[in-house]
Amino acid sequence: MAGRAQIPTKSSALIAMIADEDTVTGFLLAGVGNVDLRRKTNYLIVDSKTTVKAIEDAFKEFTTKEDIAIVLISQYVANMIRFLVDSYNKPIPAILEIPSKDHPYDPAHDSVLSRVKNLFSAESVASGRR
Amino acid sequence: MMEDQEEKGNAENGIGRQKQVKDEYLLQFLDSLDGYLTLLDSLSSTLSQGWLELASARHAMGASRINGALLDLKVHAAATSLKVSEQDVDSMESQPCFTLCKWASSDNGERSSGEEKSLSPQLRHRNNSQLSEEKVSTRTGTPLILVDQQQRQKSLSVFGVLVSPKLRSAQLSFERALETLVEIANLHTTMLSMFEQVHKELENTNG
Repeated sequence: MAGRAQIPTKSSALIAMIADEDTVTGFLLAGVGNVDLRRKTNYLIVDSKTTVKAIEDAFKEFTTKEDIAIVLISQYVANMIRFLVDSYNKPIPAILEIPSKDHPYDPAHDSVLSRVKNLFSAESVASGRR
Repeated sequence: MMEDQEEKGNAENGIGRQKQVKDEYLLQFLDSLDGYLTLLDSLSSTLSQGWLELASARHAMGASRINGALLDLKVHAAATSLKVSEQDVDSMESQPCFTLCKWASSDNGERSSGEEKSLSPQLRHRNNSQLSEEKVSTRTGTPLILVDQQQRQKSLSVFGVLVSPKLRSAQLSFERALETLVEIANLHTTMLSMFEQVHKELENTNG
C-alpha cells in the first residue's frame, strides 16, 4: 500500500477531478484546469447523461497518467465505480472522495475508512475467538 | 539464578518496547484518522459556501453566463499545481508529501512552492506594504500579489469581463477548499502508511 512503491517526485503535478458541474467549475476558477496539446482535460463533468463506462475510463486514465498527483472524485460518483476505487492502492495519485452539492459526504462509504473498519472488525472477531 | 532473572528482565523490556512502538503507531494512526475526518468536515463547509456563492453569481449573472459549456477548452497549463516530494517517516518507510503551488503557471514559474493562505489580497497589500514590496517577481518585476490577482482575473475572464463579486468570492472559497484538500491528501498518505504499520504489527502478534 502507501509507501511501498517508488514515489516519483514532481515539481508540477496536476489535480484531476471527476465531479458534478458546479464542483468542477469552482475548482477551475481556482486554477486547476489543464488542457493538453491533444485537447484532453484533467476533469470529467458528471451529469445524468454520463455513463458508468465513461466514469470508469476517466478514473483509469487519471490514475495511470504520470503528471497527476491527486484525483478528486465526488463520493456519489465513486459509489458508481466502487469496485475500482476500492481496489486502487497506489500512493500516487492519491484518490480523495469529496462531497457534492446534492450528496453530503458519508464516512461509511469512504474506501480508506471502510478498509480500516474491516481490518479492525476482523481483528476484534479474531481476538474474541481466542 | 541471577542470569535467569536478567534474561527474564531483558525479555520483558523487549516486549515492553515492542508494545510501546505498537502503541505509538496506533496513536499516530488514530491521530491522522481524527485529523482526516475533521478536515473533511471543514472541506464540506467550505465547499457548501463555494456552491452557495456560485449559485448567487448564477442568479445575478444568469444561468447562460455561468455553465460548463463556457469552460476554457483552449490548450493551457494549470495555473495551480502541486509539488510532490518524498518524505521519510522513519528509516524504512517513505511517503509522498504534497505542496500546493497557487497561480504558479509558466508565466511566473520561478515562484517557490508553499503559497501562503490567501486572505484578502488588497488588505494584505495595504497593511503589509513593506512585506509585499519584498515579494517581487524576478522575471517581470511585478509584485507577486498583483500576479496572483492577474491570474485570478484571467481565470474569471472565461465568464466575461464584468463578473459578479459573488463569483470572486466563490473563487476564493474554492481556493480555500484546495488548500484543505492538499492537507487532507497529506493526512491520507500518513493514515495509509500508519495503517500499514498497524496491520503489520497485528499480523506479527497473531502469527
